[in-house]
Parts: sequence; structure tokens; C-alpha cells
Amino acid sequence: MMQRGRRLFQFSYYSYSFLRGKSNPSCSSSLIRTPFRFLSSNNPVDVDTSASSSSFIHHQHTTTDTSGGFNYQQQQARLLQASLNHVIRLGWTEAAMIAAARDLALSPSIVGSISSSSSSSPSAAAALVEYFMDQCLQNLIHIIQDSGDLQDLPPSHRISNLIKLRLQMQAPYISNWPQALSIQAQPSNISTSFKQRAMLVDEFLNASYNEQPTAPDWYLKRTIVAGIYSTTELYMLTDNSTDFEDTWIFLNERVRDAFDLEKTFQEVKYFAEAVGAGFQGFKNKGGY
Amino acid sequence: MAKVSDQLKRPFSYTYNVVVLVLLLIFVSLPKVNRMSARIVARRLGSKLLHRFAPAATLHSHATSFGFKEVNEEEKSQLVGNVFTKVASNYDIMNDLMSGGLHRLWKDRLVSKLSPFPGMKHLDVAGGTGDVAFRILESINSVSRRATEDTLEDDLQEETQIYVCDINPNMLNVGKKRAQERGLGDLGSLVWVEGDAEKLTFKDDSMDGYTIAFGIRNVTHIEKVLAEAYRVLKKGGRFLCLELSHVDTPVFKQLYDYYSFSVIPVLGELVAGDRDSYQYLVESVRRFPPQEVFASMIADAGFQKVEYENLVGGVVAIHSGVKI
Repeated sequence: MMQRGRRLFQFSYYSYSFLRGKSNPSCSSSLIRTPFRFLSSNNPVDVDTSASSSSFIHHQHTTTDTSGGFNYQQQQARLLQASLNHVIRLGWTEAAMIAAARDLALSPSIVGSISSSSSSSPSAAAALVEYFMDQCLQNLIHIIQDSGDLQDLPPSHRISNLIKLRLQMQAPYISNWPQALSIQAQPSNISTSFKQRAMLVDEFLNASYNEQPTAPDWYLKRTIVAGIYSTTELYMLTDNSTDFEDTWIFLNERVRDAFDLEKTFQEVKYFAEAVGAGFQGFKNKGGY
Repeated sequence: MAKVSDQLKRPFSYTYNVVVLVLLLIFVSLPKVNRMSARIVARRLGSKLLHRFAPAATLHSHATSFGFKEVNEEEKSQLVGNVFTKVASNYDIMNDLMSGGLHRLWKDRLVSKLSPFPGMKHLDVAGGTGDVAFRILESINSVSRRATEDTLEDDLQEETQIYVCDINPNMLNVGKKRAQERGLGDLGSLVWVEGDAEKLTFKDDSMDGYTIAFGIRNVTHIEKVLAEAYRVLKKGGRFLCLELSHVDTPVFKQLYDYYSFSVIPVLGELVAGDRDSYQYLVESVRRFPPQEVFASMIADAGFQKVEYENLVGGVVAIHSGVKI
């Protein structure tokens, strides 16, 4: 009875989606996310590689009309960059993008055509947050490449500094950052934001460690650093101290805890080995 | 999503439900006609050959299609004009019957893709009875939008202008009447203009948005309409086209063809007393270029980021492009 009911529900849901033309949820990630989608101006042709598969998903034609003016990709990047100036006043919304379009002498209609990489329907605010995260990551990479003094510090200090640098880029927008976080947490955007955060954490760890970690270590380290980053980010939202000093103290403590945890695991391992060796010896001697 | 539920809350009349049931019975009981697809293919090939071997007698005017018939260009706009003069009074009822009420959802989707904003100057071409224009205006003036608005946008609200352009004055009259009924008649925001989509009277770079819903297959020269759309739009303006299009999925295609050629003209006869106009309608849908070809035509007109979205498996497609 329950099976029939559930199947009926599924059938009616999918037939409704069919009629409405919404993209099938199981293939919603049809648009392949390339890193720095908005910032790469040397790749103006955006090819949708899933083009001929299904009639639910929309198809794209992009032309590279660079005769004299900008093409669409470039205008989109300019618009998103200009929108960041309005975010403080108007929030991570379409209103900020409309104001930016007016600044650039473009019709605000263009805002309706901007789509983020994980949803097939236009979602300008999600695209704006995605652009900001990409831009911060690119800035971070530039800083890492330019600064040489990071090499002298031990890994824990390096990670701590990098996380601090990255969070300071968000500091001007901190009053609206909860809205950006909620946009990133929406189901249609969560895959993109997860990928962006994963890339960010990769960057932190690649800059801090020079050796090639083994596989279980790799996942463990990334999970721990991602956890430290997220909790510090959330702490920063309610921090009222000057220059976010409390946040940096919090960050240092978390990093220290994580490294202490690593040391603790090491010690437990040695202890277990020692006990095991003792037992072996005990057995060999005939046991008393 | 709020708009869909508002639509559904409006009470459907009892007679509408009865008519839908009758249609379903007709649909199920009549025998399937396989000859239909063969006839369509033969007509298509025949018209292709006609283009190649057209006699030199038609020196200045070219042949174009009126459904599956070949007619001169000057004749086509006259014939189309006659069709819409005849259907104007029953246009909305027939839309509801033919699409089972789905056309409302399609137009909702078109307007949500457009993302209208206060202060917008929008042009709706071939939008005689005003469906799309009303939706845009209501979306801009909606209470939920006003709640989250900036004070600057309140002032801009006054500047919103939606121009409804149609070549047929009868359709415009029906639209003006409906506007009055909906309470939008006295706002200065709706402007009804009689004009030809191929030769618009609006200035260059004056519109933020341009929509054409179920109109572009009736024009004589699609390229001219696209060129006019490009001319009239501002930099950053969007072009959106909602149109009946081609279905490719195997079984559904047969069902759709059967429905189009056997049920719709009969409906036209029963409800509107005019079988020929609806025969023209379904034939013109088949003659219209498929999605990809139309998208390339839009790109040729100069638009960028040309995309299309199929609704109901290809029965309807929304093409969009941006002028940069």
C-alpha cells in the first residue's frame, strides 16, 4: 500500500516536472563547473557538453563576437565585479546587480540572463556569491605565489596565516555575510559551494605542506582544515572586537588543538605498539 | 511559485471541465491514423521541390508558406490578418482548450525567465490579448516584491512602461477590454500600439526587454523580425521568444501529431466555428524551423548567449538571447 502510494507520488511529481519543463533532479548538475568560470576571459566559448542528451535540459549557443566591444562573458564579469560595490548597501541580491548594471550603462535586463553554474535556471544572487568566492580564491593564490616568507614557519602557523588572510577578504562584507552563507547553503547551490570550499582547502594545504601525503591522511587533513575554516568563519560573524582579534585568537586555538590531536594520535599509536611488543615478549618468554 | 498557485486558485468553470472530458473521450475512441505522418512527409518534400523549381513568373515576390500551402508574401500577411480577425473573440478560450490550461504555465515561465524589474521599458510583440504584458506588470507591482524593495525603486515603479504591439486591431481591442477587467486599464504603464513586427515604430536602443509569445511563426520574414528586435533593444536587453516547436521523442511525437491534426481542427469547428484557422495553426507549427535552427537564426541577428529551453518535451520552446 505504501509502495503504491509512493510510486504514485513519484509518478505525479515527475509528470508535473515534465509538463513544467523543470530539469530532472538527477541530472541537474549537467552544466560542468569549470574553476574560475567567471574570471577566465581567455575562454569565451562555453560549450555545454551534455547538449544532445535530453530535452529537459536547456541548450546553449555562445558566439564570440569581440568586434570592438566586450562579449557576453566579459560583460558578465564586469557586471559581477561592479555589483560587489553595491553589496554592502543592498545585500547579495538582484537589486545590487541591477544597480551595478545601471552604473555600467547596461540595461538591468541582463541580470535576468545570468545563471550560476549549478542551476539551469537564472539565479543572479547565487552567481554573485560564486563569483566572489572565486575571486577571493584567486587573490589568495596570488598572495601565496608572491610571498616567500611563508616557507619559514612551521605548518601550523602557515595554515593559521592563510586562513586569516582569506577571512580578511570577507571582512568588508561581514554585515551581509550570513545572507551569502544562506545562499550557498540552498540545495540548488550547495554542490557549487562545496566544490569551491574544497578547492580552497586544497589551496591551504598545498601551501602549508610540501610532502605528498598518503591517501587516508589526505582526506583527514582536508576534513579537519575545512572544519577549522568553517567554524572560524561562523565565529567571525558575531565577533565585535576591533580588527576581529578574538577571531584570530579562536583560530589559533583551533589550529593548535588540531595539531595536538595529531600528536595525540601519534602517541597513542606508539603506546599501542609498545604494549603489543611487550605482550609478544611476554609470550615468547613462556609467560608468567 | 506564488504565481502558479494564484493561477490554480482561480475557479475553473464547470463547462470547461465537461468539455475537457469530452475531448478525452474523442481522443481515446477515434482510430489511430497512420496515413497522417506519411502525408506530412510528402507535403514537406513537395514544398522543398517547389522552392527549387519555382517558376520565373513570380518575379518580385517570393513564395512563402501559409501552413502547408505556398502563397505570395503579400498575401501571407493578409491571410494571417484574416485568421486572427476571425479568432480574436475566442482566442483565449481556444488557448485554454487546446493546451489544457498549460499555456498559462508556459507564459508564467516566460515571465519568470525575463525577471522584470521596476522602471523597465518592455515591448511585447504580437501580444494582442495581453497575457504576457499583464503578467509582467503584475510581477513588477506584486506585493511580495514591494515588501523587499529599496526606496529608489518605488520612484522607478512609476516609469515602468509595457508596450503591447500587434498588427491586428481586433486582438488589441480584446486586450484592452481584458485590461479593464483586470483593473490594469487606467494605469499609464500599459500602452497598446498597432504595428508590424517587421517594421517597428520604436526608436533604436529604447527597450529593456522584448518578448514575442506564439507570434513569430505567423510572420512573413523571421529574420526581419529578429533584426528589428535587435535594433530596438538597449545594450544588455533581452530577447525572449515563446513558441510551439518540434517534438523529437518517438512515442510522444506520434501522440502529439495525432492530437494536432485530428483533435485541434475539430475543436476549432466545435467551439469557434472555424476549422480552417486551426488547421492553419497546426500546419504553421510544423513549418516553423526546429529549435536549433531558430537558435542559430537568433545568433545571426547579433544576439549573444542564445539558449533555448524545451517545455513539455519540445511542444513549446523558450528561446532567449542578450544584446551586448
